[in-house]
Amino acid sequence: MDTTPTDALISQLDRLAGEFAAAIAPLDDEQAMRATQAQFLGKKGQVSAVMKELGKLPPADRPRVGEAANRVKDAIAAAVDARLAALAEARRAADLARTVDLTLPARPVATGHLHLLTQVRLELVDIFAELGFAVAEGPQIETDWHTFEALAIPKDHPARDMQDTFYVADEIVLRTHTSPVQIRTMQAHPPPIRIVAPGVVYRRDDDATHSPMFSQIEGLVVDRGIRFSDLKGVLTHFANRFFGGSGGLDVRFRPSYFPFVEPGVEVDFTCAFCRGKGCRLCKGTGWIEIGGAGMVDPDVFAAVGIDSEVYTGFAFGMGIERMAMLRHNVSDIKLYYEGDLRFLRQF
Amino acid sequence: MKALWSWLLELCDLPTTPTVEEGARALTGGGLEIEGLTDLGAGFSGVVVAQVVAKRPHPESTKLTLVDVITAKDGPATQVVCGAPNVPEPGRKVLWARPGATLPGGITLATKPVKGIESPGMLCAEDELGLGDDHAGIVVLDADDPTALGAPAQRALGVDDWLLDVNVPANRGDCLGHEGLARELAALLGGRLVQHDVSADLAELASELRTADLVELAIADAAACPRYVGRIVDGVAVGPSPRRFAQRLRAVGVRPISNLVDVTNYVLFELGQPLHAFDWHRLAAPPRIGVRRAAAGERLTTLDGNDRALEPGDLVITDGSGPIALAGVMGGQATEVTAATSRILLESASFEARSIRRTARRLGLLSEASQRFERGVDPALADRAAARAAVLLARLGGGRVATGLVDHDRRPPARPPVPLRLARAQVLTGTALTTASCEDALARLGCVATADGDGRWLVTPPSARADLLREVDLIEDVLRVVGYGEVPATLPPLTAAPRPLTTTIADRARRALAAAGLTEAITFGFQAPARLEALGLPADDRRAQPIAVRNPMSIDQAIMRTSLVPNLLAAIARNRSFGLPDVALFEVGSVFLRAAGQPPTGEPSALADEPTHAAIVLHGSRPRRFGAAEPWDAFDAKGFALTLARALGAGDPAVAAAADVPYLHPGVGAAITVGGVVVGHLGEVHPDVRARFGIDGPVYLAELDLGRFAEPGPVQMRPVPRFPASSRDVSLLLPEAVPAAEVEAVIAGAAEALVERVALAEEYRDADKLGPGKKSQLWSITYRAPDRTLTDPEIERAHEGIVARLTAHLPAARR
Repeated sequence: MDTTPTDALISQLDRLAGEFAAAIAPLDDEQAMRATQAQFLGKKGQVSAVMKELGKLPPADRPRVGEAANRVKDAIAAAVDARLAALAEARRAADLARTVDLTLPARPVATGHLHLLTQVRLELVDIFAELGFAVAEGPQIETDWHTFEALAIPKDHPARDMQDTFYVADEIVLRTHTSPVQIRTMQAHPPPIRIVAPGVVYRRDDDATHSPMFSQIEGLVVDRGIRFSDLKGVLTHFANRFFGGSGGLDVRFRPSYFPFVEPGVEVDFTCAFCRGKGCRLCKGTGWIEIGGAGMVDPDVFAAVGIDSEVYTGFAFGMGIERMAMLRHNVSDIKLYYEGDLRFLRQF
Repeated sequence: MKALWSWLLELCDLPTTPTVEEGARALTGGGLEIEGLTDLGAGFSGVVVAQVVAKRPHPESTKLTLVDVITAKDGPATQVVCGAPNVPEPGRKVLWARPGATLPGGITLATKPVKGIESPGMLCAEDELGLGDDHAGIVVLDADDPTALGAPAQRALGVDDWLLDVNVPANRGDCLGHEGLARELAALLGGRLVQHDVSADLAELASELRTADLVELAIADAAACPRYVGRIVDGVAVGPSPRRFAQRLRAVGVRPISNLVDVTNYVLFELGQPLHAFDWHRLAAPPRIGVRRAAAGERLTTLDGNDRALEPGDLVITDGSGPIALAGVMGGQATEVTAATSRILLESASFEARSIRRTARRLGLLSEASQRFERGVDPALADRAAARAAVLLARLGGGRVATGLVDHDRRPPARPPVPLRLARAQVLTGTALTTASCEDALARLGCVATADGDGRWLVTPPSARADLLREVDLIEDVLRVVGYGEVPATLPPLTAAPRPLTTTIADRARRALAAAGLTEAITFGFQAPARLEALGLPADDRRAQPIAVRNPMSIDQAIMRTSLVPNLLAAIARNRSFGLPDVALFEVGSVFLRAAGQPPTGEPSALADEPTHAAIVLHGSRPRRFGAAEPWDAFDAKGFALTLARALGAGDPAVAAAADVPYLHPGVGAAITVGGVVVGHLGEVHPDVRARFGIDGPVYLAELDLGRFAEPGPVQMRPVPRFPASSRDVSLLLPEAVPAAEVEAVIAGAAEALVERVALAEEYRDADKLGPGKKSQLWSITYRAPDRTLTDPEIERAHEGIVARLTAHLPAARR
């Protein structure tokens, strides 16, 4: 059967589809494919060139050619999409074939360390803040009066032996305890007072368990009607928050003597590690000695001009190093102050 | 204070006899902490009291004796071989370590032949039992020793006993004797104190001599010596003390010397009253005893043989001829008891605590006596102690007690009774105290309480309790007897919470630096002077004028730090010595500077300025994965400094070159300023300075004075941009000497409202292309308006204006 011009045109169009597929087969980027697509489909493209012949055909055949042209356009678009999809799939497969040895060292993220004593101090302050305590501070180089006299420790008082003192001048010392902050606070603020005063102190004492500089936290509450039992309650709260975990730790008071409190006590907590059963840490007693405390002595109130008939108060003091040692198993007090990164970076 | 359990029980009458553990628990609970509890007889076992019934020489040795001993009356005799020279005659008692007995040093006895004759165990000497050092011979008990045959040797030796190590609080001088501790034990356990009544003994032992005829008291200074009791004991002979008497002294830590000296120590430990025995015949005749302050230039040879220069504050005892003793501290050699002594003047006195303390401390003579006088000895004790000691001296020394005593009694008048209010006690303690519980406690403490209305008493404490002066003292003691375990746990009512009294700037700084990856160090507030000198500060720098510690424990703690830098440099060196080459540390803490107006050297007369500083040191390399090291540099120090400044609310402080910081490299140092005020420095530590700390390799440093930062208010939000920004670059050719900050300053000086950000994008040097001493910088400027998208012409106008300004104000060419 003879080939009509119409049939020839249609087969020419259909051939272009095949030619296009062959033209983009070696291409592997979209831009080149789009350029090739333009060569075939653009105004000056091969499909357009073929379609220019359309006018020479009988009008009755023209729809058939138009259908063929659309078929070619669709085929070209589909070929592009398919090719792009294949390329994307190949890239994805190649990407997924990648392996990285994640056992290689991590890129270090700089992690700083607050000193263990800072961490413990901040935690202590937070615990007391829950009970409404504010923070007070005072100088480390302190007057003899604030350090001793106002705390009912006159010169030649035997209690001065308890704290061997570094002197800077006759009446100026390195404070041996944080208690002078009590005096400064009471001088500066009328009751009610509710403060904790953390800070470093100095004593002439240097052995396995003593450092000539160490840190304490002092507490002071002065108000109308403050009771000895309130001291016990506050310290019980503290013991359970700091050491307790599940709570249930008791506070034991043992009578003791500090000239600036009366009654004065040594404070023991139930050993948090054996829960009072007795262990190496508490030397089998079930109790851990934690610090000194007591009711503010009327002589101290007199020194700062507070009427002890109207106001009562309590004070307590604890060693921060000891807290940290107990809870973090620190073996030697010297480690705190040597700047040894092998120690500092553990916390 | 060391105390013997048997001695305590002897001095109190308790409802039931407690075990030593119960007693120790009661005393500890009452505030007299028992720090040690020692079983004195624990060193040996299986050693018994045996009686010698026969002895004969060993056939093979002249040094050995065969001894027949029995351990029960009419029991079978056992033959023991003994090598001691002092085997007693039959009838006397010895100590036999039988086979199976254990001795100190882990020795277990068996039956063994000694020169051919079997010996079942041995007879013991003192030192073999771990008691004393007498190896002259075996222990032979006194002829009248009452210990039963077969009883443990501990009983015969007085070591079937417990030693209590008591931590006596500074205000409880009354507990530095067994009587005081027994008073406590009785109060805590509900018993009563037993005091020896020596009146019958005194009558029995009285001599025809009268004390008042043999000694006169002429004491003028009643404040220095409120009480002085003298007694004479005549006809005594010096000899050893009885075994168990001496053992008690040995147990509490006093070496027995002779019966006469031992008695004074025994009574000191029993009653807490120090005593002194003078050889009456060696005193001026007739002795006229005085107590006075030493005169300048006076000397005294004390009984330890030292010739001592006295000072006017020292209290001395005189006999009319001059000083014969340092009152309350140590006797004089010239009047001490010797082997020839036959008549004794006993001194039982009380002296002013402060004088004794000063003299004892100055001379380094902390004796049992001085320790008690320092804490105060009850003047009411003097006559009782003198009588007790006189009786013991007469009994042990075979003498008689002169009739009567001499008594300088200038005690201050009895203190008025102390008022006590039940209501006050209840409020102060928060504990359910009652009239009955208070009255019971007071009675047990030996206080006499007279009701003074409802719930009020007037209380007279025992004279020994000089610490019970005020109502609060009584409340404490009542509570002590009731038991601190009775105190409930309550919480104080929350009153208006006071505002924080101090800022937390130091902790904000610590948190910021730790968050930035640095590790916090805390170093001593004092340091070695050499560490400060290593900084090379000029003498007029405040930091070169440290406050010295008068009595440091070592040169390493001799001055207060004026900068955080030296201790941190030392920490670098220390870490390097540990094999840690990379160190990044910071410290935030106080430094101590002389207050304004104080002289630059010598002891200050005012407290110090104690500003809080922050310092950062970097040495070695940054943290890295592996491969080549990335050394820290000065821009790391700058980065940490700016991070800190920002955390403190200071925005971006200005950093400008500073060549005048002696411990920084002259070309790598800068000052940090906020609002025109220098707040710190940063840079590279001067190579000479780090070399002085033994650090090989650069150290970078930043330090800030936190006191220069104001407490920032809350951060205020700036509007988040809603319109796009555009950047334009300008490349400049600049002389090396123009700092980057100057370029920024010129750009800022344009005050172009559209400029949002200025950043250096590139910098390079190339002598061939740019010429020597030149650098090229590419600056990127970002423009934005808050209310619209900028048009190109707007941006170009602004940018060209800035470029024109840069080339006009700087020796800069546009490239």
